[in-house]
Amino acid sequence: MIPGLKNIIESLIFVSLEPISLEKIKETLSDHPPAEVEQALQDLLQTTASAERGIAIIQSGGGYVFTTRPEFDPWVRRFLKIDRKSKLTSASLETLSIVAYHQPITLSEISALRNVDSSYTIKTLLEKKLVKITGRKKSPGNPLIYRTTERFLAYFGLNSLEELPTEEEIAKILGEDKTVEQAPKP
Amino acid sequence: METSESYQVRLEVFEGPLDLLLFLIRKKKIDIHNIPIAVITREYLDYLGHEEQINLDREAEFVLMAALLIHIKSQLLLPREEPLAEGEDPRRFLVDQLVEFQKIKAACSILKEREEEQLSLWTREVLPPLPEPGEADLVEVSLFDLAETFFVLMKRKEAENFRVVRGKNYSVEEKMKEIVAVLEKESVLDFLEYFNRQETLEEAVVSFFSLLELIKARLVMAVQERLFQTIKVWLRRESKARQ
Repeated sequence: MIPGLKNIIESLIFVSLEPISLEKIKETLSDHPPAEVEQALQDLLQTTASAERGIAIIQSGGGYVFTTRPEFDPWVRRFLKIDRKSKLTSASLETLSIVAYHQPITLSEISALRNVDSSYTIKTLLEKKLVKITGRKKSPGNPLIYRTTERFLAYFGLNSLEELPTEEEIAKILGEDKTVEQAPKP
Repeated sequence: METSESYQVRLEVFEGPLDLLLFLIRKKKIDIHNIPIAVITREYLDYLGHEEQINLDREAEFVLMAALLIHIKSQLLLPREEPLAEGEDPRRFLVDQLVEFQKIKAACSILKEREEEQLSLWTREVLPPLPEPGEADLVEVSLFDLAETFFVLMKRKEAENFRVVRGKNYSVEEKMKEIVAVLEKESVLDFLEYFNRQETLEEAVVSFFSLLELIKARLVMAVQERLFQTIKVWLRRESKARQ
C-alpha cells in the first residue's frame, strides 16, 4: 500500500462540505488501485475510531464526514450558543416512520394508519424537508404522494432506506415491550 | 377499584386512539390477536369518561374509535344463522390496524434513539448554525418573499425620484456575472444592501431579475434568517466546487 494514501483520504474528507462517498474518493484517487483506496479508507476509519480525539469520521447520508464526538456535545453547544437541538415531536416521528416504511404513500393512507388526521403533521415534515411530494396517485381525487428525503436519511444517520430498523429489530422491541407496562407519565 | 390508576393518565399523553388502545391492551396483558372486545370497550370508554369535557377538535378521533368498538361488540353479540368463517371476525380490521401500528411505534422508538445520537454529533456546515429558540431553521426564501422585498425597495427607489436619464443599458446577463463576482469575493451578499447600492431604478430592477435567474439556475441560494429580515445570498456549494 502506498504510504500516505490514508492521510490523503483524510484530507479529502476534511475539505468536503458534504459527506464524501467512496466512489468520489476513488474517482479522485483514480491513479491508485480501487482496492488499495478501500483498504486505506478502512485503515483510516480504524485509526480515527481508536484515537483519542475530539472528532471522528462517521458514515452518514451515503458518505463519510467528520463529526464531533458525542461526549463533547455540551461544549460545542456552549460555543455555538445553542441550548439544545429541537427534536421531532412524537406525532412527527410517528408520521415520518409511516412514510418511511410505506412510501410512496398518500395523506389519507397515513391518517388511516394512525387513526388521526395527519395533515398538519405532514405539513411540518414538508417544511423541515424530511418528506417530499413526488407526484399524484392515479386514484379518485388524484391525491399527492409522499416520500422521505435525503435529509431524512442524514437526520437519522442512515445511508439508505435499507438501514431503517428491520422486522427483527422491531420484533425484538415488541417482545421486550410485553413485560413493560408502565403508564406514560402524566 | 381496579381502574383507579387510570385516573392519573390523561388523554393528552396519547397521540391517538390506537395509542390509547395499545396502552390498555398492554396494561391488561391482552393478546392482541384475541381481544376481548367487551373488556377493552369498557376500559376505553372509562378513559373517555374521565375527560371532563370532550374537545371535539382533538378528541373526535377518540370518539370515533369508541363508536367502532361498540359497533364491533354489537356485531359479536348479534345471533347468526351460520357461524363466522375464519377471516370474518369483526375484530379483524381493528387487529390488523393495531398490529401495524404497534410495529410503527417500535420503529419510532428505535429512530428516536438514533435521533438522539445524531443530535449530539456536530459537523461543519457552510452556514454557521444560528442560535435559535424555536424549531425553525434558516428559511430558504420563496419567490413571494423575494417579490415582497422587491416591492418594498421599489417604493423606496421611486420616492427618490430620479431625474437623470443615462444612456447606459443594463443586461441581466451582465448583472448576473456581477452578482456572482461579488459572491466569489465576499462569499455572502446582503441583498437589501446590494439593491440599495444600485444607481437607477432600471439597474435595480435588472439586478432583481438577475437574482431570480441565478436562483432559478441553482447557482445561488437565497436565505432569510427570519421572515421580513434581509435576504442573504450565497453561492451554492456544488457550483462553487465545480469552478
